[in-house]
Amino acid sequence: MTQTFNETLGESQLECKDLGYAYSGTNFIFKDISIKTYADELVAIVGPSGTGKSTFLRVLASLIPSTAGHAFLNNVEMKDPSSQISLVHQSIATFPWMTALDNVKIVLRNKVKDDEATEIAKKMIALVGLNGHEDAYPKEMSGGMRQRIAIARALAASPTIMLMDEPFVHLDELTANSLRAEIYSIVFNPENTLKSVILVSHNLHEVVQLADRVYVMGGTPARIVNEIKIDLPRPRSEEDPLFYEYVKTLYKELMPKESVG
Amino acid sequence: MELITIILATLASLSRVLMLILISIVSGWILSYVAVKNRKFENIYISFVNIFESIPVIGFLPIVLVIFISGLGGTLGVEIAADFLVFDAIVWNIWIGQYQAFKTIPQHLIEVSENYNFGWWGKMKNLYIPFSYPRVSSDIFPSFADALFYIMVSEVFSVGITAYKVFGIGTLIVQATSTGDLTSIYECLGVLAVGVVVITLAFGSFSKHAIAKYGLNTSIEIKRHIGYWRPHIRKWSKDVIPTPRVSKYATKMKMGTENIQTAVTKVRTSRSFEKIGKYIGTGIAWMFLIFIGYSSINVILSVPHSQWAIYLAQTPNLLYQMGVDYIRVIVVTIVSFVFAVSLGYYLANHKKASTISLPIIQTISAFPAPAYFPLIFAATAPLFLHNLSSVETELYVMLLCFLGTFYYVFFGFWVGVRAIPTEFLEVTQNYKIGFFTKMRRIILPATFPYLVTGLSSTINSAWGGLAVGEFWPNIYGNQTLQVHTGMMKVISKGLANGDMGIAAWTSLLFAIVVGVYSIVFTRNLMDLARKKYVIEEGIYAA
Repeated sequence: MTQTFNETLGESQLECKDLGYAYSGTNFIFKDISIKTYADELVAIVGPSGTGKSTFLRVLASLIPSTAGHAFLNNVEMKDPSSQISLVHQSIATFPWMTALDNVKIVLRNKVKDDEATEIAKKMIALVGLNGHEDAYPKEMSGGMRQRIAIARALAASPTIMLMDEPFVHLDELTANSLRAEIYSIVFNPENTLKSVILVSHNLHEVVQLADRVYVMGGTPARIVNEIKIDLPRPRSEEDPLFYEYVKTLYKELMPKESVG
Repeated sequence: MELITIILATLASLSRVLMLILISIVSGWILSYVAVKNRKFENIYISFVNIFESIPVIGFLPIVLVIFISGLGGTLGVEIAADFLVFDAIVWNIWIGQYQAFKTIPQHLIEVSENYNFGWWGKMKNLYIPFSYPRVSSDIFPSFADALFYIMVSEVFSVGITAYKVFGIGTLIVQATSTGDLTSIYECLGVLAVGVVVITLAFGSFSKHAIAKYGLNTSIEIKRHIGYWRPHIRKWSKDVIPTPRVSKYATKMKMGTENIQTAVTKVRTSRSFEKIGKYIGTGIAWMFLIFIGYSSINVILSVPHSQWAIYLAQTPNLLYQMGVDYIRVIVVTIVSFVFAVSLGYYLANHKKASTISLPIIQTISAFPAPAYFPLIFAATAPLFLHNLSSVETELYVMLLCFLGTFYYVFFGFWVGVRAIPTEFLEVTQNYKIGFFTKMRRIILPATFPYLVTGLSSTINSAWGGLAVGEFWPNIYGNQTLQVHTGMMKVISKGLANGDMGIAAWTSLLFAIVVGVYSIVFTRNLMDLARKKYVIEEGIYAA
């Protein structure tokens, strides 16, 4: 089941080479990380707690400068944050004084005319299934609705890459399940510009349900220790025995080697 | 002047300030705890603090004049008057900050403390007090600066030909400036500067530690280096004060039948402490209310009936003078706001510049403007080769107000920017949101609660600045700084001429106007800030 995935899937969208990040200049959290994402692909990153997965996403988005290595978006080296890469946070971040519509429109201000911004924002809100809630404030919405707004905002910026940092971790299981079931069709919808998604998650069921490929991080400092292709048809079902096999495989990857035996 | 006298006077003034800050903090913990536990008390307490927080210190002048200066009189009266003004300048800010901290303690932590029967003291020591440290540490800077401002101007009160004074650096500086004794002024300022720098650095260090260790959701590293002295001090304190630590017994307690009984008794004792705490809190609140009511009645009764007709006839003119002062306050506030936000935004985005300049700004801000302003005046006034025109006088008064006020809105903005969760800043970076959109839609709304508090303090201190600057006899040598029109000048001149009646009446009028203004405007603005513009509520991490 475990395999190294070396096939070429056309032009890479986002690529990083030997990326590393260190606190205080020398204490590397992760090091020598090279990954690639391709069109219409959802790539997951898993690893034990403390391997710097969230930091890695921020370095990829150039929100934090890397200590070593380089990141490329469509073969152009990235130096600064770009709205072509949208980050969806683990702690759902919506501006409390803005309505749902304004929360989405904020990324379009001064980039397109106000009418057009409203139109795009409404379209994205509809895409995430919140039609009719444009005037609601975050306080008036559930956690699941707020996260949909954050995703709509991310999509409204017309990104080609979306980085998702444990996007469902603060949601209750039912809400998280329904959003998971929809997320793939939302992000890879012809209505938006998205090409690929990188998802960081601890939930192995979530990873197997959503990912096309999985990078496993491990060690100190963390490196990519394995790359696994999830070769299951969509929509995926947890009832499928193969689904469970993938979960087991990932679980083994994450367990300390001595306890695996 | 003897150097030892200057040092002792500085120590006296700083001790007053530090003691009052300590009293404010300790009383704030108790009152805030009672407030979060008792809904009825909370309603009274918060309304009361909100109103008083928004009234300028100078609005309390009737109480000071009638009860302390005129009533008690002498050194004791001036001592209490000075302490009262300083206490009033610092306490509301600290109390409301502690209350907000207590109100925002995560429910799961409260449940842990209930679950394991921490008891009243255990909860205070292990949860409530530590959780409030970041707020206390950020409130302490403006409070210290405000306190020094008022200690400088209230250590000496001249009523007619009698000057009441208490021993302190403010008194020495007034003496030195009125005689034009430059050497003594420099010595006083030098010693005061040393004291201010030492205390500011200590506060700065406490603030860094408090935010790093006790703040939630912060990426600031906790420094664990405890230095050479701390273990020794700990050992010393254990040897000298071998007080048993209650929490040790709690953790060592085995849950046998006998000990369960002990635990139940502890819980009951803790609840009875809570009840006592509630009674104490309610008592304190009522004492304050009765005190304020009594003072207001005293103001009215202190004026002979025959004088009323005269004062009432002067009232329209006094209101006009107050209007002119309001314009001055608005101008100073706008200038302070623009300057503070520009500087604050620049520093928030330039780490190196902020590392160097923030401690400097903190130190300068704590240095009371009335202490060094006479020197600025002495150095620049002779450049005007004629008597100061009204515009030039206005500029001096405005400069004094600005020097004593802009820090509040600056620190408010700065703390507000620092409190914006990283996620939001990442959103602005991620989507390359432009400067003006970012300021208008995100930074200013996100810092709104802090800005309102900062602006309120700025307005508050601008009134204090006007009270000092509108009529300043012997500002340097025999020169007098005075504006043509201004309510604060009427009060100061009334005091200087021994006409307590006009001073008390004008300040009472002022207290009524600012009281009404505070209730209908400032308080609502603060309510709006606390209800709508709380950026932390934008993070959903249930």
